[in-house]
Amino acid sequence: MLIEQCAYTNRWRQVSPAAKGLFTSCGIVAAFVARSPLTTCCLAVIILAVAVVGARVSLFRFLKVALPAVLFLAVSAATLAVSVRWGGFPLRLQFHLVNKAELSHIALTCSRSLCGISALMFFSLTTPMTDIICLLRKLKFPEVMLDIMTLGYRALFVFLEVIHDTRTAQMARLGYATPRLAMRSLGILTANLTLQVWQRSNALHQAALARNNDGSLMFLEDEYHRPVLTLLTASCSGCALIALAMVPL
Amino acid sequence: MTKAKNAILELQDVNFRYPDGSVGLNSCSMSIERGSRTAILGVNGAGKTTLFLHLNGILRPQSGQVLYDEASLDYGRESLHNLRSRIGLVFQNPDSQLFSASVREDVSFGPMNLGLGKEIVKERVADALHAVGLTDYADKPVHNLSFGQKKRVCIAGVLAMQPEVIILDEPMAGLDIAMQVELARILDSLHAEGMTIIIATHDIDFAYQWADTISIMVKGNCTATWQISDIANSIEQFGSYGLGVPRVAELHNALVKLRLSDNGNGYPRSHQELVKHLNEIVI
Repeated sequence: MLIEQCAYTNRWRQVSPAAKGLFTSCGIVAAFVARSPLTTCCLAVIILAVAVVGARVSLFRFLKVALPAVLFLAVSAATLAVSVRWGGFPLRLQFHLVNKAELSHIALTCSRSLCGISALMFFSLTTPMTDIICLLRKLKFPEVMLDIMTLGYRALFVFLEVIHDTRTAQMARLGYATPRLAMRSLGILTANLTLQVWQRSNALHQAALARNNDGSLMFLEDEYHRPVLTLLTASCSGCALIALAMVPL
Repeated sequence: MTKAKNAILELQDVNFRYPDGSVGLNSCSMSIERGSRTAILGVNGAGKTTLFLHLNGILRPQSGQVLYDEASLDYGRESLHNLRSRIGLVFQNPDSQLFSASVREDVSFGPMNLGLGKEIVKERVADALHAVGLTDYADKPVHNLSFGQKKRVCIAGVLAMQPEVIILDEPMAGLDIAMQVELARILDSLHAEGMTIIIATHDIDFAYQWADTISIMVKGNCTATWQISDIANSIEQFGSYGLGVPRVAELHNALVKLRLSDNGNGYPRSHQELVKHLNEIVI
């Protein structure tokens, strides 16, 4: 929901998703071009700054959304840097730090991932999913995949509401009073949801037929504010990021 | 069943049973006049939705026939495409009808399926959103709209296809009073443009106020069709279907019996009309 709110309320909502996608791609390419962890960290901060200053995405929201991915990256980095094993006498856990060369390699890998996270966060926090699907359609992604994405994304909110309503009704009748009852209620909720998925998919099929659909889902594409200019700006900014990545730090 | 003078849609002795054996339609015959406002009344499970799915060609009669423009429906792909572009169907639950998470995209879904050009679709989407008063919501995500607004998006989605007939399944269900008034205004403006409108409803007072014709459905059968002007005269007979009677007609009849009102300018169809009529008598 946080991602949704940012995507619909940021200043670059009407900027072409192609431009934002291009800048994101350049950010990822720059992360791989960079040869030092310091450079990639700088790139990550620059992309974050572009989102915060340019698109007016709140810094707090950006960090909050990025936090799970960054934590996952931190855990991964720790497991790469430190190896744990049983050994010695008496038997105990032994921690071994990798050597300096390997450490710098891990730092580079992780900082690249950090830069990639920053770039993807920039894209997802400034571009609604419907725009992303529209962009993928223009890039000739398979229709079936895009239809599933469209319906899946819409269904996400419909079923979140169903889950919320069902859970509230269960809680109102003490459905979660004890762990045993909670397990039972959760089972009923899952069964109910499964049935609703089936019923609603049938209803959606009928609604599609009623509106003359007999193939893939087609929608009118949005029009964006000065698409050529924004695309040019994005490509220049993206190239600047890649050039910056080549600077040895 | 009396056949309408200028029937646009007609059902002749249509029967339909669902795979589980439950009756959908049972010898159902009905005739809908072009440019009319028809309300279908019936208890839950009476077959109203099944009837609508037949009128749009989604369900096919197991016996009997459905006629559009006095010709029996052809269930070939091309003919169904043609039929569904002329008969728009708005379902009861908007969440079962909205495909895209974007209002503009969803409204464009029908016209895009008609194979229209981008410019025409844009124009139709703008007109349809304007007709339902949602122009400012075009770029909003569907999941941030209220239930009533979602219903209006559904109606806009059908209006953008510019159908001759619009069918609405329980359009007032779940709407607050303000939304109901707004929806009634939209329906009135569509009717003024010459569109044939069919609705299913439980709200007898709204049906009496809004419709030209009321059809009663019982267990899949269209038991009776009433012209609105006939109801007030035969209110007890109308009440025998167990669906209630229009309160304004009942009250007006009681006032006439007590010589507190008269039938001078015909029967009032709404509370406001009755109050206006009584004020005129007093003056």
